[in-house]
Amino acid sequence: MIAHAIETHELCYRPGPGFELRDVSLKVRQGAIYGFLGPNGAGKTTTIQLLLGLLRPQGGSISVLGRQVPRELPRILGATGYIPERPHLYPFLTVAQSIRFHGAFYRGFDWAYAEELRRGFDLRGEAKLARLSKGEMGKLHVLLVLAQRPELLVLDEPTDGLDPVVRRDVLSALLDFCSQGAATILISSHLVHELERICDWIGVLDRGRLVAELPMHAFKNGIKRIRLDHAPSLIGDTPFLLVSRQQTALDQLWVVRGWQPTMVQWFQGVGAEVKEIVDLDLEEGFVEMLRGARTPTS
Amino acid sequence: MFKQVLVAQWQTSKLAVGLLTLLSFCLPLLAVLYGGDLAGAGRERVGDWLVAADRVAQFLPFVAMLVGLLLGTLTWSADLAGRHVYALSLPVPRALYVSMRFGAGALFATIPGAAMGLSSGIATLTVALPPGIHAYPVELALRFWLASLTVFAIIFAIAGASRRGQVITISVIGAAVTLDVVFLLFGVDYSVTAEALLLLTNWPGPLSLLTGRWALFDV
Repeated sequence: MIAHAIETHELCYRPGPGFELRDVSLKVRQGAIYGFLGPNGAGKTTTIQLLLGLLRPQGGSISVLGRQVPRELPRILGATGYIPERPHLYPFLTVAQSIRFHGAFYRGFDWAYAEELRRGFDLRGEAKLARLSKGEMGKLHVLLVLAQRPELLVLDEPTDGLDPVVRRDVLSALLDFCSQGAATILISSHLVHELERICDWIGVLDRGRLVAELPMHAFKNGIKRIRLDHAPSLIGDTPFLLVSRQQTALDQLWVVRGWQPTMVQWFQGVGAEVKEIVDLDLEEGFVEMLRGARTPTS
Repeated sequence: MFKQVLVAQWQTSKLAVGLLTLLSFCLPLLAVLYGGDLAGAGRERVGDWLVAADRVAQFLPFVAMLVGLLLGTLTWSADLAGRHVYALSLPVPRALYVSMRFGAGALFATIPGAAMGLSSGIATLTVALPPGIHAYPVELALRFWLASLTVFAIIFAIAGASRRGQVITISVIGAAVTLDVVFLLFGVDYSVTAEALLLLTNWPGPLSLLTGRWALFDV
């Protein structure tokens, strides 16, 4: 069994001036639900398209499900369910025709499960895709990829623009599928709270660079905002990772990662006074992490 | 797989195929509209009739071109609209997918050709030809079919090419036109585009099928 469902090494891609994906080294463990976070334009979709061979990298290597991209692409794609950012199915087909078209390309396509999902999602077989609502289209995409019985699901903003009811249906279908087997999920989103509920790992991409990759519990529990008096201006070795620092009128605010309560002693050692320690939720932590990645800390 | 590609492609092409089939069917019949019993007719009347039939037949290469042009474009229209994302994410080698798309489009391009062949046969049967005049329904239908396929293949390749490929094609054409303008300015009596067109449209150029005389009836 392979350790990582997705592994990239120093992946580089530059489509033109203004944006560049630089040295992205992702490691998505087999069986993980990996949240791929990043603001709009960070390069999430580009990275996903590189992983699936839709774009050719200019540097680095990609391995998906233990196979090299692009050399073994058809076999990789045969075991991967992909929902792109924008709907890409043929709008002139009906739901039933789309299922037949899609299923014909996958050896292990589960026709019975597809029918079960179609009924569960309340999708009419004779409805033309061009006439489907955004929510129905989202459900159809999920239906198609789940009926493939994939080993890996790559979902690029799958719930973007969906109403809360449809979003819940889609996410529970995905989680149900995950609980049935050992599929790995890479789910990209900028909806932080959504990923907080379902993911066990997260990777944060900003301006084409992977700024963090860690287990969700480490991210949620270990990220704090600390209010300090007499904060040191220069920082040497710290027992935690300083994400960002900000001077206010009275004191300094530090955002740190990898925090343990015993680390208060370190501040005492450098002559600083800890006035307050606040837990940050994932969204706040994400924002602070981006701020830290964009500004030098010392 | 191919069956599903065929079904999907039919949805985008059916209207064009229907109209082109109708047009291809009607043209040979129009050619003999003023026909009738020519067996005992004088040389002048037969000559007039041949000229009239010929005039109609000259539309056939344009229809063949239209078949190739429309079906070549429509073959890729769905994938182009989705920027090929769906096609590229399917687990088949790209060459196989392109072959299936080509096969489906080529199959549809055959339908107007078949209709043309059928109506050419009917047209031939309706006319009692004078001695020395022959009908060539099979040859004409074959030529129509090959011409449609040739144009289809060219348009299919251009429409389905990568952006880089399309840029190269347009750049080559642009460079040829620029050279012509430069030659014109310096008084050089040579045209790159005219030479290229001659190469393409004269035998054994791929478009030579479209040029020359198209005739259902001839000596």
